[in-house]
Amino acid sequence: MTSKNEKVNQENILSNDQIQINSYENDSVEAPRYSCALSGVYGTTLGIRGGVPILHSGAGCGIGQLFGTLYAGGQSAGGNEGGTSTPCSCLVEEHVIFGGEEKLRNLIQSTIEIFNGSLFVVISGCVPSLIGDDVDSIVDEFRDKASIIHVNAPGFEGNSFEGYEQFWDAIVKQLLTPKEKQPKLVNIFGIVPYNHVFWKGELLNIKNILKKIGVDANIIFTEKDGLENIKKIPSAEYNIVLSQWQGHEIAERLKNKFQIPYIKFPSVPVGAKQTSEFLRKVGEKLNISSDKIESLIEEEEDRTYRFMEYPADAVILVRPHSYFAVVADSGTAIGITKFLTNELGYLPDIIQITDNPPDKYRESIVKEIIENIETVVRPDIIFEADTYNIRENLKDRPFLFLLSSSLEAPTATEDFGALHISVSFPVYNRSILVHNYSGYDGGLQLFEDVISTFVGPL
Amino acid sequence: MKKIKEIAIYGKGGIGKSTTTSNISAALSDAGYTVMQVGCDPKSDSTNTLTGGKSIPTVLESLRKRRGNLKVEDVIIEGFNEIYCVEAGGPEPGVGCAGRGIITAIEFLKQENIYEKYSPDVVLYDVLGDVVCGGFAMPIREGVANQVYTVSSADFMAIYAANNLFKGIKKYSNGGGALFSGLIANSVTFPAQKDILEDFILQTKSTIAGFIPRSLTVTQAELWGKTTIEANPDSNQAEVYRKLAKSIYNNKEEYIPSPLESDELKNWAESWSDKLLELRKQEEGDFKI
Repeated sequence: MTSKNEKVNQENILSNDQIQINSYENDSVEAPRYSCALSGVYGTTLGIRGGVPILHSGAGCGIGQLFGTLYAGGQSAGGNEGGTSTPCSCLVEEHVIFGGEEKLRNLIQSTIEIFNGSLFVVISGCVPSLIGDDVDSIVDEFRDKASIIHVNAPGFEGNSFEGYEQFWDAIVKQLLTPKEKQPKLVNIFGIVPYNHVFWKGELLNIKNILKKIGVDANIIFTEKDGLENIKKIPSAEYNIVLSQWQGHEIAERLKNKFQIPYIKFPSVPVGAKQTSEFLRKVGEKLNISSDKIESLIEEEEDRTYRFMEYPADAVILVRPHSYFAVVADSGTAIGITKFLTNELGYLPDIIQITDNPPDKYRESIVKEIIENIETVVRPDIIFEADTYNIRENLKDRPFLFLLSSSLEAPTATEDFGALHISVSFPVYNRSILVHNYSGYDGGLQLFEDVISTFVGPL
Repeated sequence: MKKIKEIAIYGKGGIGKSTTTSNISAALSDAGYTVMQVGCDPKSDSTNTLTGGKSIPTVLESLRKRRGNLKVEDVIIEGFNEIYCVEAGGPEPGVGCAGRGIITAIEFLKQENIYEKYSPDVVLYDVLGDVVCGGFAMPIREGVANQVYTVSSADFMAIYAANNLFKGIKKYSNGGGALFSGLIANSVTFPAQKDILEDFILQTKSTIAGFIPRSLTVTQAELWGKTTIEANPDSNQAEVYRKLAKSIYNNKEEYIPSPLESDELKNWAESWSDKLLELRKQEEGDFKI
């Protein structure tokens, strides 16, 4: 087993040599923290109400993602169009040799007839991509019958986070047309359905908090009329991207094609400090009166910090200034690390980033953490997706809390002497519906989750 | 069980692989051996001159139609002099994956134990040109052919394809794949063509199994849907094929050739450029009649 991890310390964060070492797929990856490109497109499609995925692939691509992506995203099934109900061309050897075009044509025809969907997304997996099925022209035959797009997403082309970008690329190229601008309308990008396990609640929270400053957030996912939400994307005044890298490509595309500028925020804001900063930034860009913003911030912070006093005794008396470890995708890791450090006074010991960010974004992820934590403690920051390596990296360290996937949950105490909270993909050991750590209340919920690991038992 | 001689014959498209293979099959059959010829090319015309110019049902098309109920008798057709003719078949041009088709067809034949049922002395696989992907390398992998030949003219692209085949053999030789047994020099009429091929085999540490001159007798026989052996058994060309077939059957040479790297091959070809131009002139003169 090779361990070509990348460790970054404060002194050398700007040194490229230190930041760029491992490319995750060079070696075999044990229990990776993501799935393939097809999975990213599939999950993203299912995140849209009325979205119907049509898999042009082997049968296993669908059933594998039921277990590997949907259940792994906080025990979420795929709804009427997901899981075992997913239309799939179920390609077998005959189609590999002679092509699967005719079967796909019949599948699209019957899917459009049977499903009550509004947006049909044909997702090509490895087999048609390798043999060169001309899926585009087949999809073209149906464009006047339904809203339909084709996303070429062979699993080998990238991971599930990259699949999210491929989905949007196809939407922009095949579906969107210029629309009249709607003031104070923003689109939210960077939260990847299922792979970002708190996606449902986070999007709702972001929408609600922006509503309070008069901004209409088009969160696209989870809401009725998903296709309508997609169609109004070009009307937005701004796009808001809540990640250091996910959603950046789509934001760039929309900027070039529809002249929509975008606001970057390093992660979904977690807790009072990050949320207030987020509101100020959005308010400034969208010309919202600072009085309005500050008055909301004052009100929310007043409430939030009073709430944080309730469990404060448990922290101060039982687990003050504890070290913690985070193993999560970059979006989740950044928000949680900053909250625990800056608002609870906890000490970041080691942060492992699991979503395999493209090389060009890695330095900015590291800088975002290192430069925004108010502590003298400097965490090791490691980019790693291999579960064996992740566990090795966690051994013999001082942390008391481990915020990671559910894969570490059963043995966290035994192996690392740590109390565990499931916060990142895959999460099989908790059902996640609206629970999340975004906004003012989200910070409180993270606080609740941390305290609940050690109070009691009676 | 008797030892079966399994031979794969590769070469660039249009170079005369199927013609040569079918004539070798016909000659061996004439000499009393039980012969099977397996065409491994989606255009499935390898055995046409053994079946009176007619196409036979292919393994893949039949597998598709019969859905698991296919019997080998449906796809093993007796041709000239009771030669067992098989065509792997494959997709239409531009669709699907022909390489996977070859793999599937050969796996089917192996599963059905055709060697026990038909007990051939010699099996010849006639394989599509370049070894472009894993599928077309199937006949040289472990457990299929044990000897490989390539048909090549002195044309650079034919030599290029032969060199690619050498690369394939080298790769699979580590895993018990087939070894090389010689280059069959086809359409060799002028001394310079012979020189070029002889130099190529010197560079690649390989051997020549035989020379076949260009001949109108062959073309004529093909137009009749027959091999030269069947159509003109007494011709000189038939004698050439008979000699080649005999030497191939008795050939014990099996080795790993040394393919040239692309730069080496390019440099080598450049060193022959003047000779080649001269040849082209001669050939053009030859056809002016």
